[in-house]
Amino acid sequence: MPDQLQTEHNPAPSAVAERFYSGALLRIRRFMAVLAPLLVVAAWWKFGLRSAVGFAFGCAIAYVNFHWLNRVIVGFADRATGAATSQSGQGIVFRFLLRYLLMALGAYVILSVSPASLNGLLAGLFLPVAAIGCEAVYELYAALARGV
Amino acid sequence: MGKLSKLFLVLSVLAFAVPAFAQGGAETEGKWIAIAAGFSMAFASGICALAQGKATAAAAESLARNPAARPGIQLALILGLALIESLALYTLVIIFAKVK
Repeated sequence: MPDQLQTEHNPAPSAVAERFYSGALLRIRRFMAVLAPLLVVAAWWKFGLRSAVGFAFGCAIAYVNFHWLNRVIVGFADRATGAATSQSGQGIVFRFLLRYLLMALGAYVILSVSPASLNGLLAGLFLPVAAIGCEAVYELYAALARGV
Repeated sequence: MGKLSKLFLVLSVLAFAVPAFAQGGAETEGKWIAIAAGFSMAFASGICALAQGKATAAAAESLARNPAARPGIQLALILGLALIESLALYTLVIIFAKVK
């Protein structure tokens, strides 16, 4: 009984690490949500309104793309493990292909409306890479400082 | 014909200016740049597709062998696919930045 209480209040280090690393996807999304407005403001200040609008479009497309990629992989993992899934196989494939269609549509709209903001759009598409980089730095900090 | 004659014959042929390799105008250069950009994008897309297929196949195999390891495999697969996609985007950005 005392051992059980101790386990509940002070989980084992491996359980702490598992909980910490399982929250990586949520943290990456939060990094994306924090980085996008900051970088849009920085782009506006440095390169002007058109580039900032293109960058905001790119960030939005990248965020939706990452979200759908996540959902597709959850559905794929459900299929691979035989778990009950609410997503149909056709829906998974459709969503996977729809991501590319959305990106192409966004690029076409930007190109036809304002070709000057194309560079901003392309830069915005790298938002997940920046967020993953931030997550890697944070995990390094947690490993060194907290020993997780 | 002796060896020395053959050598001089080859050297004399090489000494001629070949019009086909002459420096072309801006139109010719633009055409080759467009072809090179198309090939580089095709190579990048094809190799990224192969890498994504390999990563997905490995993840499916790992999930089928050990379903308990699902959270870790799923996270690695998502990050891997996102980073592989970004490699194709790097090529696209280089093409847009350098090919005007």
